[in-house]
Amino acid sequence: MLIACPYCGPRDLSEFTYQGDANRTRPHPMSNDQSAWNAYVYDRVNTAGDHREFWQHSGGCRAHLAVVRSTLTHEIKSVAIARESMNREAAK
Amino acid sequence: MSPRRAHNGGRIDRATRLRFTFDGTAMTGHAGDTLASALLANGISVVGRSFKYHRPRGVFSAGIEEPNALVTVIRGKLREPNIPATQIELYDGLTVESQNRFPSLSFDVGALNSLAGNLFAAGFYYKTFMGPVVGPLKGTRFWMFCEHFIRRAAGLGRAGYEPDTDRYEKMYGFCDVLVVGSGPAGLMAAKRAAATGKRVFLAEQEAEFGGTLRWKSATIDGLPAAEWVAATIAELATLPNVTLLPRTTVWGYYDDNALGALERVSDHKAHAAIGEPRHRHWTIRAGDVVLATGAFERPIVFPGNDRPGIMLASAAARYASEYGVLPGERIAIFANNDSAYEAALALKDAGAEIAAIIDVRAGVSLSARELAREAGAELLLGYAVTSTSGARRLREIEIQPFADGKVKDGATRAIVVDCLAVSGGWSPAIHLASQAGHAPQWDESLRAFLPPSPTQRWTGAGAFTGAFSAAAALGDDHAVNEPEIEYEPAPVFEIHPTGKKSGKAFVDLQHDVTASDIRLAHREGFQSVEHLKRYTTLGMATDQGKSSNVPGLAIMAAARGLPISEVGTTRFRPPFSAVSLGALAADRHGHFKPQRLTPMHDWHLARGARMYAAGLWYRPMIYGAGGETVEQAYVREARAVRASVGIVDVSTLGKIAVQGPDAAEFLDRVYTNMFSTLPVHKARYGLMLREEGIAFDDGTTWRLGEHDFLMTTTTANAGKVMQHLEYYLDCVWPDLRVHVTSVTDEWAGAAVAGPNARRVLEACVESTGVDNDALPFMGIVRGEIAGAPVMICRLSFSGELAYEVYCGAGHGQHVWDALMAAGQPFGIVPYGLEALGTLRIEKGHVTGAEIDGRTSPRDLYLDWMLSKKKPYIGSAMVDREGLVAPDRISLVGIVALDDRPLQGGGHIVEQLGEEPRGSIGHITGFCFSPALGKYIALALVKGGKARHGQRAFVSDPVRNRYGPVEIVSHHFFDPEGSRMHG
Amino acid sequence: MVEIVSPLEPDYRRGAHGNREGGSGVTLSETQPGSIVQLAAWPGQDEALRKVIQTVTGLHLDAVPGAGAIVENTAAFGFAPGRWLVVDQAEGRGETLRDRIGSDLGTVCDLSHGRTAIAVEGERAERLLSKLYALDFSAGAFPVGQAKSTAHHDVFTLIHRTGVDRFDLYVYRSFARSFWHLLRASAEEFGYTVE
Repeated sequence: MLIACPYCGPRDLSEFTYQGDANRTRPHPMSNDQSAWNAYVYDRVNTAGDHREFWQHSGGCRAHLAVVRSTLTHEIKSVAIARESMNREAAK
Repeated sequence: MSPRRAHNGGRIDRATRLRFTFDGTAMTGHAGDTLASALLANGISVVGRSFKYHRPRGVFSAGIEEPNALVTVIRGKLREPNIPATQIELYDGLTVESQNRFPSLSFDVGALNSLAGNLFAAGFYYKTFMGPVVGPLKGTRFWMFCEHFIRRAAGLGRAGYEPDTDRYEKMYGFCDVLVVGSGPAGLMAAKRAAATGKRVFLAEQEAEFGGTLRWKSATIDGLPAAEWVAATIAELATLPNVTLLPRTTVWGYYDDNALGALERVSDHKAHAAIGEPRHRHWTIRAGDVVLATGAFERPIVFPGNDRPGIMLASAAARYASEYGVLPGERIAIFANNDSAYEAALALKDAGAEIAAIIDVRAGVSLSARELAREAGAELLLGYAVTSTSGARRLREIEIQPFADGKVKDGATRAIVVDCLAVSGGWSPAIHLASQAGHAPQWDESLRAFLPPSPTQRWTGAGAFTGAFSAAAALGDDHAVNEPEIEYEPAPVFEIHPTGKKSGKAFVDLQHDVTASDIRLAHREGFQSVEHLKRYTTLGMATDQGKSSNVPGLAIMAAARGLPISEVGTTRFRPPFSAVSLGALAADRHGHFKPQRLTPMHDWHLARGARMYAAGLWYRPMIYGAGGETVEQAYVREARAVRASVGIVDVSTLGKIAVQGPDAAEFLDRVYTNMFSTLPVHKARYGLMLREEGIAFDDGTTWRLGEHDFLMTTTTANAGKVMQHLEYYLDCVWPDLRVHVTSVTDEWAGAAVAGPNARRVLEACVESTGVDNDALPFMGIVRGEIAGAPVMICRLSFSGELAYEVYCGAGHGQHVWDALMAAGQPFGIVPYGLEALGTLRIEKGHVTGAEIDGRTSPRDLYLDWMLSKKKPYIGSAMVDREGLVAPDRISLVGIVALDDRPLQGGGHIVEQLGEEPRGSIGHITGFCFSPALGKYIALALVKGGKARHGQRAFVSDPVRNRYGPVEIVSHHFFDPEGSRMHG
Repeated sequence: MVEIVSPLEPDYRRGAHGNREGGSGVTLSETQPGSIVQLAAWPGQDEALRKVIQTVTGLHLDAVPGAGAIVENTAAFGFAPGRWLVVDQAEGRGETLRDRIGSDLGTVCDLSHGRTAIAVEGERAERLLSKLYALDFSAGAFPVGQAKSTAHHDVFTLIHRTGVDRFDLYVYRSFARSFWHLLRASAEEFGYTVE
């Protein structure tokens, strides 16, 4: 599998580390809502189809990437630098 | 009669004689021979014994599909079993042994299995050895009795026990076009792609390029085919954008057009050149792939079809034309298509007598009749071979009339021959396509599976697509003169005479799977191709059924009364052919197990340190002085620290620069305790949790400037902590202006500990004071030691007055030497990990053994570090019910009451009975404590503190260590910490 | 100043090694720069930071990933989003850069001791590196001046192509000796010279 790192270009899977589901939202740090924290830490949807997830280019530029990948075909639909896309989302 | 070398012909170099030995017998061959051709040239018919029945077997093919002629290659002390003789290039000094025979190839005890007949039919093992015990010779217990004998008899060649000393390497290749296969279609594809300036890789699994053109009689543009190949290859070799890869088998087709290939770099040489690997594993990323992998000829299944001397027609022709070897003197051809007629002519031209061409078809083309006439062969149409005879090699065949797919009653005719060349049609080599495509499609006219539609970027060419002639492969650009051949075979896959007992008809020669095994599988309900494969092991041998797949499916289809297209085929999976494990491991074997070394590594070794691998790092365990035991050494080292001063290399601690205006805020979030309040030039011990409230890592973090922190982590967790920080900055708090950078390797670190530590520093540190005012507990100063800039933090892991001295890694040895010299008057002692561990256990400090991914801060009595003033990673979940339960395991000290050593992993139990049980915890760290004069340990025990003062027992069945212990506080030594504050 | 000791020291054997049939396919050398400095910009400050690099080193860097440049004793290149490495044979570049990069612009991290610089030069340099990294080293895919971040197993490496046949590699110091052994072993078949 290749992941097209927006900085480094397409690279071999062996350079990347899977860093988990990118659909989760961390509860507000002061929140004491245990069910929200429980969902954040433990619950995963296990999508069959397009899945947004973080990959770190750990053997390259070390940036985290927000990747949309089909869990059925491994086809990668989009890749963005996570920090940029998270900042964009936060601005919305 | 035996096979022999023809008087002339072939593309071997008859002037070069190469010596080799087969089962200890010295033989010779020529350059250009394979082991198979050389064995035939030496008159060898029986090359091995079969897998189940130990029947004598000879060379069956001339290529990678070889099921029979597997040998063990011996190089020095190394044995490599199960190598097809057809794939071994002869070199001077080659030594091989035949396999699966005892005591010898010509007389084999296991051949008695042949007499046992149906005993070894499909499902024999399941039926005999599985399930409840019924009678004396059944069931699982019977298996346990028989296993030893069966395991000894099973299998093919035996691997050696010596470590593989050969060299293997990996290579990454990038190209626009990868052409797999260098027959006419592959050569054309490579030429065309090269002409457009694209980067082209041309991979050929054999030693020479050209495929069938190397031995076919065709001419191309007026040149003999082999000469045209040589000219084409010479031209490609001059092009800078073309990479030629001979002896390279493309074995796997993976996502994003990544292909795995094995290059056999020096297997064909007696000795590899300097630095040359034996095998090189290629990972090739190709823009486009052209699959020009050709086709495999397949046999017809008939009784007695495994006798030495029976081989594929194309193989027989190839031995004659390419190697100048006659596989027999008097040869019969048995076919269901025209291609074998061309083979007949080639064999005749090489000097053999073609006794007959036996064809199951009632009528054949004019062109075929003409080839038969030229070959001087009697043409027997509407006949089939129904049995064979001959003890060690074929002596005679019997034929009977054949029509409508059936053997007809009628006169049996015997023909005396020493070789039978068989052709049952051709199957495109669609293995790679199947790995990167949809399901293969059965073609009713070629009676073969054609390549599926691709799921990746590849196209097919030549015989791979079902276009078997050279003209079709080369296209219109070249004038090809070759016999006109109808490749479409008659739909005959098996000759199944009824009524008479005529011997076993083999489908999978390597696994000894017969046609009746397939019918048995059908009767017993194993009818899907996937069940058939697993029940009979059809196609599961090292040849992966390259020649047996289609006949096997055809027999099952006939049994089920279905067309083959509905029976389907199993999916081909990588590898296409065997790949050496050495090549897959490559530099992880021998050459490159990366080691991380500290700047003082060589000094440690020179001082007799026994090194300990901590992850990839190497650290001194003890510095052995003259015959000391490990315990004596660490006790001496630890004593020296408590009594005067010691020095330990702490360069391996993870170090992360945390920089930026939001650095302090960030640290407040990742540590449980507060860092924004930490003054510049001060350090603080910090604890990190994971989100679910479990302890993650600990270490000190130094504030070097307003926006500039140096975080230290445990050696083991450095990478994980780095990744943790990067994740939160990138994905959770992307608004924070913080940069983290690994600086582990930037700094060399030495901890100087002991009551005289300050005096050592006073003797060597310049440009700063190190007294209590200038450098209080957890203070940081910058200065110089012997001219090198250093940063010193006063902190203690040992419980003594101690300092960590950091300097640039390139100055590490220089500063270490200066510290040693300054410590000389105080008898400074270098200490290793064992003494470091001893000192920390005496103090009850935790490390990775206690922060083990299961313990909460409370379990470790670190709840004093949980800030109430701010949230941090883990703060929302650290107080969950389960994490504050009173019966959780928590940190305690253990004292052995029997004065014997304790060991890590030993269990703590409340009672010792016949069988100790009811563990209440386990030991995490242990030592002999010189300060207490006792064997002590840290442990995680249920209830923890509430058990202080109680007696319990250690139970360590693995090491047979049982005995009484006392549970105490983990603060064994100087609980007030007066020594380090002194 | 105290000399920076090379981690390769005991295994750095100058001269010709390996298969000598075709001469030396590659030359290996440790370049021992006095300064290796990482610069990292805050979002939106890339251009300002590249200007500082230009002012201090005279090297102009394009606004594309991995862009690098080299003059006699100084090299600079990008290796990650918002991050650059400045390498100088002279010591003390970190201080100069620190003085010019305020906390509103980004950060400076001195790695002069922490990274070991090894140059691989020669006709077979591309092929040698192809044994170690899953990267296309051909000039079209990896032009002169460009840099890439990659790894060989655990050995994180920054690679700067400083010439048609030359690559400057930066590896973590603690791995350097082990990596050096691997480089030598991999170069053996070509014949190599340690300079």
